[in-house]
Amino acid sequence: MRTVEDAVGSVLSGAISAITQRSIFNRLGGLARTPVGQLGPVERQTVLKELEGSLRLFARGSSAELLAACDRVLSESTAPAAGGSQRGGGGTVGTAGIAGTGVIAAKGINKTFAVEQEKDIATARLEAWSEAVRIGLSKFTAVKVATAVSELARNIVFYAGKGTVELRAHEDERGPSLHIVATDRGPGIEPRKLEEIWGGTYKSQRGMGKGLLAVKKLVTDFHMDTVPGKGTTVTCVFRGER
Amino acid sequence: MKRSTAASTGSDGRSRASDQSLAIIQIRNCLLVSIQTELHDRLALDLQEALMERVRTAGARGVILDVSAVEVIDSYITRILNDIGKSVRFMGAECYIVGIRPAVAMTLIEMGVELDSVHTALNLDLALERLELLQ
Repeated sequence: MRTVEDAVGSVLSGAISAITQRSIFNRLGGLARTPVGQLGPVERQTVLKELEGSLRLFARGSSAELLAACDRVLSESTAPAAGGSQRGGGGTVGTAGIAGTGVIAAKGINKTFAVEQEKDIATARLEAWSEAVRIGLSKFTAVKVATAVSELARNIVFYAGKGTVELRAHEDERGPSLHIVATDRGPGIEPRKLEEIWGGTYKSQRGMGKGLLAVKKLVTDFHMDTVPGKGTTVTCVFRGER
Repeated sequence: MKRSTAASTGSDGRSRASDQSLAIIQIRNCLLVSIQTELHDRLALDLQEALMERVRTAGARGVILDVSAVEVIDSYITRILNDIGKSVRFMGAECYIVGIRPAVAMTLIEMGVELDSVHTALNLDLALERLELLQ
């Protein structure tokens, strides 16, 4: 059976990169694997809303066209409104899938993501990117935001095992800003290691050992609390130029 | 419709296979890899090994990694690219990274992260041209 991912993928392939498509489908969660025929009107709207945000970012000029094409392929065999209650297992999975992504609306809403596996790094990165663009940060700043979140999420997966990344959008007289809070209850960082990290001499087994220093250089404000044996919290702020 | 689905990241077998390994394409005596998927430890190591083996068997002079589809390059990915560059250089070939996006380049500069074990070129054509000159 043709799933949302198949249908939307057929429209998007060639227009946006495979990596971006995968990130979009990751964001859709269970909805991406729901057969188009079992998609209720509410779920269809959710899918389109997600796509709209992502396409504005990645397809730029052709986003309206692509969105209309996605709308068409999803309408081809969408269940009528009355059929909503007769949805099978697919619909239930879909509903669970949107619970986390449904809270994207007005400014000032916080979003928190659990980070545990490598695929969560990509999800956190894309979320950060779209959030940065949504609140009006420049395209270049959005890439910096995504890179910083990538570094922080990677640190969580590599060294703490699991943790969370929180995004908070702010707006004040100086313009929009995005606050990123990465928290884990991992091993923390020993003072001596910390000295090496900030001195740029630290070398890790798996990465470059320069992730934290890199984040610090990218952001407007940076703050880190780390307690050996207890965990680490990194708070940083990206501010838009106005 | 069917054709384009196969090229997408749909649930068909072909794209799932590409999650586990990256295709290495030979153009004259250069090896080309287009990075379209998330690089992680296992995949990067497999790619590095496969490239070194292919450099040896094909007698390749250059390896070109196309990252034009990669929207974010962080310090971890940079390390992977540098490691591949180093190992290829040990084999006597040169490694070119092509298609780095402007925003990605700006970010890497600000982070103070170096891509110093590889060459870079704007696109595939220019990388091939420069590798040709090495003859």
